Amino acid sequence: MAATIVTSPPAQLHLSSPTGPRTRLRGWRKILLYVVLIVAAAGVLLPFYWMVMSSLKTNNDVFTIPIKWVPDVFVWQNYVDIWTKADMATWLKNTMVLSVAVTALQVFTGSFAAYGFSKVRFPGRDVLFLTYVGTIAVPWQSYMIPQFILMSKVHLSNTLWSIIALQAFGAFGVFLMKQFYESVPEELSEAARIDGLSEYGIYRRIILPLSVPALASLTLLTFTNTWNDYLGPLIYLRSPELWTIQLGLRSFISQYNAEYALIMTGSVLSVLPIALIFILGQKYFVEGIATSGLKG
Amino acid sequence: MATTLATRRPGGRLRLRNTLTGWSFILPNFVGFALLTLVPVVALFYLAFTSWNVFGAAKWIGTANFTRMVGDASFWTAFRNTVYYTVFHIPLTLVISLGLAILLNQKLRGVAFFRTAAFFPYITSIVAIAVVWNMLFSPQYGPINQFLHAIGVSNPPGWTTSGTWAMPAVIIVGTWREMGYYMLLFLAGLQSIPGELYEAARVDGANAWQRFRNITIPSLRPTTFFITVMLTIGSFKVFDLILVMTNGGPGQSTLVLSQYIYQKGFVENQFGYASSISIVLFAICIAITIFQFLMNKRRDA
Amino acid sequence: MKRSILTAIGLAVVVPLAVASCSSSPATTSSTTESATAAGPVTLSLAGWSLKTTPEFQALADAFHAANPSITVVPKEYDATNYDTQMTADLAAGSAPDIYVQKNLKNFATYQIGGQLLDVSDVATEVGGDVSGLSGYKVDGKTYAIPYRQDSWYLYYNKDLFDAAKVAVPDGSWTWDDYAAAAEDLTSGLKTAGNEALGTYQHTWQSTVQGLALAQTPKADLLSGDFSYLKPFYERALALQAAGAQADYGTVTTNNLTYQAQFGTQKSAMMIMGSWYVATLIAQQVKGDANTFNWGIAPVPQIDSSTAGTDNTPVTFGDPTGLGINPAIDKSKIAAAKEFLAFVASEDGAKTLAGIGITPAHVSDAVTTAYFSFKGVPTDDLSKFTFGTHDTKAENPVSKYTAGLQNVLGDLHSSVMSGSASIDDAIKTAEDRAKNEVLNQ
Repeated sequence: MAATIVTSPPAQLHLSSPTGPRTRLRGWRKILLYVVLIVAAAGVLLPFYWMVMSSLKTNNDVFTIPIKWVPDVFVWQNYVDIWTKADMATWLKNTMVLSVAVTALQVFTGSFAAYGFSKVRFPGRDVLFLTYVGTIAVPWQSYMIPQFILMSKVHLSNTLWSIIALQAFGAFGVFLMKQFYESVPEELSEAARIDGLSEYGIYRRIILPLSVPALASLTLLTFTNTWNDYLGPLIYLRSPELWTIQLGLRSFISQYNAEYALIMTGSVLSVLPIALIFILGQKYFVEGIATSGLKG
Repeated sequence: MATTLATRRPGGRLRLRNTLTGWSFILPNFVGFALLTLVPVVALFYLAFTSWNVFGAAKWIGTANFTRMVGDASFWTAFRNTVYYTVFHIPLTLVISLGLAILLNQKLRGVAFFRTAAFFPYITSIVAIAVVWNMLFSPQYGPINQFLHAIGVSNPPGWTTSGTWAMPAVIIVGTWREMGYYMLLFLAGLQSIPGELYEAARVDGANAWQRFRNITIPSLRPTTFFITVMLTIGSFKVFDLILVMTNGGPGQSTLVLSQYIYQKGFVENQFGYASSISIVLFAICIAITIFQFLMNKRRDA
Repeated sequence: MKRSILTAIGLAVVVPLAVASCSSSPATTSSTTESATAAGPVTLSLAGWSLKTTPEFQALADAFHAANPSITVVPKEYDATNYDTQMTADLAAGSAPDIYVQKNLKNFATYQIGGQLLDVSDVATEVGGDVSGLSGYKVDGKTYAIPYRQDSWYLYYNKDLFDAAKVAVPDGSWTWDDYAAAAEDLTSGLKTAGNEALGTYQHTWQSTVQGLALAQTPKADLLSGDFSYLKPFYERALALQAAGAQADYGTVTTNNLTYQAQFGTQKSAMMIMGSWYVATLIAQQVKGDANTFNWGIAPVPQIDSSTAGTDNTPVTFGDPTGLGINPAIDKSKIAAAKEFLAFVASEDGAKTLAGIGITPAHVSDAVTTAYFSFKGVPTDDLSKFTFGTHDTKAENPVSKYTAGLQNVLGDLHSSVMSGSASIDDAIKTAEDRAKNEVLNQ
């Protein structure tokens, strides 16, 4: 579906903020702001700090009265043990495969469907959309069993496919992207329609480039949710070679032996990839997208 | 929903073409969604009217589950607690995450670090979060109460070990955990506001507050709508946080609907009754969502 | 843009779902479906959990295979904490293993009422009277599972700390008053000796109070909905807490204290805990997770002197752990599965278990000998008496109400122990809830 005439919006690097771009904060206000931010960040990161410290303790030093913020002895061995004691490599691999597959499917089908919901008018659209959103409102643990029976009937349970199928077509991505498309001015697509661009062309050439921050958010959130999901893998995956990182780590808390130090070691390792992806994804948030020459 | 097509009355052929186009966009996602989510959810609506112990056939018992619910004191306790959580959690999270987003949408050195820090609570494993916060809240040895002692509070609350203070403690942790998540969505919304709007307003001599009131808030409306709906549903469905932090205790002071559903279903194997409670939870959420949806439409019109 | 590839992936996921057959044949879990004749080789799947750290399943499977080379038993991994959730899902979907474990009696009722257990009365007759806990699996005269281990609760005590506090070690005759006095004496004695350890430790589980109250109080009945029998037991627990002789419930929950660390690293001189902890403590002492110290087991304190002392049979509690057969099992495998069940309850099976420090359901002198030959088990006379002589009452009566009632009592436990409600109020609330929400269903 090649479009003949293309109005490509010039993508400018542009930063917008409520106080307008490039406003200079005065010296002392800036310092105050930094102090507030640093204190807040310290508070927010405290549990993570505790996690890191606990991963360097012996098992029986993790929970003590009162809290030990610094281990007596740093047990670096935990970071060696976790690879031998646990099947960390397999878990990481599975979780990575699942997260990438689910995120790709969710972002693609979700944003595609969202365009249909937001920019194309047809009868029954709003009802269908509400049905979508409605399913978010049903607690998963209540239809988990019917869904599990369905998946087992088609022989998907105890395969990685089950988790992909489970998570890739949720309503979340559709809803999120639809809301962002709403904020793209209608004039843009109208102009393109007059230029003879098909709906698919509009989606690809105009809407997608404009919704980079939204797509980046959706990617990050979907990835994080899949990465950290516990209940889904717990119900669907049995074979240890299919376990995800969350499932594997919880299996440490077996009934009689709580290997908390190793759990914390694993938790630290499991957070790192997401943190990395988040930091890499940052750059899509600093590129404010300028809509071409539209005066609001 | 601003649209110019509304002014043209589409003829039959155009409407058909629009329908086909719309469906062609929706279909790839819808096929998976309908098969995997919609079918079980529809089954749930049937099961709500049965007595089903998961093994074997479901026996149709009409509205008996719902009459039972009306007289079930624990259901009402769970309902009250869920509303309690929701009423405090939603405004708190909205204000804090919007504030954070605006703060972190500026040109600051190290802004990426602060954004990542704000998002960290959401990606940290929930087990670790529960453990750490419980320790912080520890009545005798926890840093929070030691701090309160230090500033002269003689009898600080027992937090998660007290029937009165357990829910506030859970609300604090819930807000702390989710603020980064919604901040991210607000950020994406702020990023898509055209800079020209602010430029123009500045030329017209609007001050920062006016710019915020007249540009930021209206431009963010689709994002805010999404976030409010997700927050509402998320608060009504709160589950894993409660499970790991207090497990509904002490007593039933933090028992919420989602957990009650899980208890009735997986612990007591009354899946029929659990389904009917889910339906009620769903009805509440969907009613609020439709209300928000209509309000949103009216504002747009 | 690789949209076409993504679409292909999407279709690859969706199409098999759409065209999949709707046959309701249960998914076979074993990768090799052997058409087993009575004489041919048979493979049975067996549910287990934490297979890496819980050797009992593989040990039983190996010992059985050695005795019956034509039958292989393959353990299938489940999650220890969420075993029943996963098993419920698997049974509902027809993907459960041939033989599965009854982790506790609370859920046994659910599986049995749901028709998820084959009648194994013939096996029960065969294994005979040396097996304790068998009666727990009897419903209307038929037996639906066979116990292989029977845990009971003991009093664990740290001899070194007793000596340090100059308190006499348990002699097997303790009533609850003796226990409470010892806990307080230990706490003050240890303080004098400059030791921070407390007299005793009570873990957060409701069983630590309620299991013993139900087992020892005459005429106490969970299903009656009358919970007044709990009162003296809670009064004692709260008094010990108030006296500082055991860690405060709020501190234990908020700091996630583990009982293994509290006793194993000598933070408390006594602890009432299930018999599984014997093997755990030994393993942790070997590994260095627990300190090395002298310890022993004694009978749990008794409600009065009529059951106390080494010339009586002390009353304690504990649920058996049993194996049941999934009705969806291939008909040709039933005989082999029953053979396995008979084996786990036999003396040979019990010796296998005792050899790895587990308390088997089968009781005999040979088994006791095997148990005390396990390296690290305390071999003093009182420990031997404790292991060999006790009247173990079930914690969970088999009834459809049990799970609901235990939930109600769990709420009672957390509200009383945390001080959120008085004992009388909490008992009244629990009785009302039992009457209006559980027993009338």
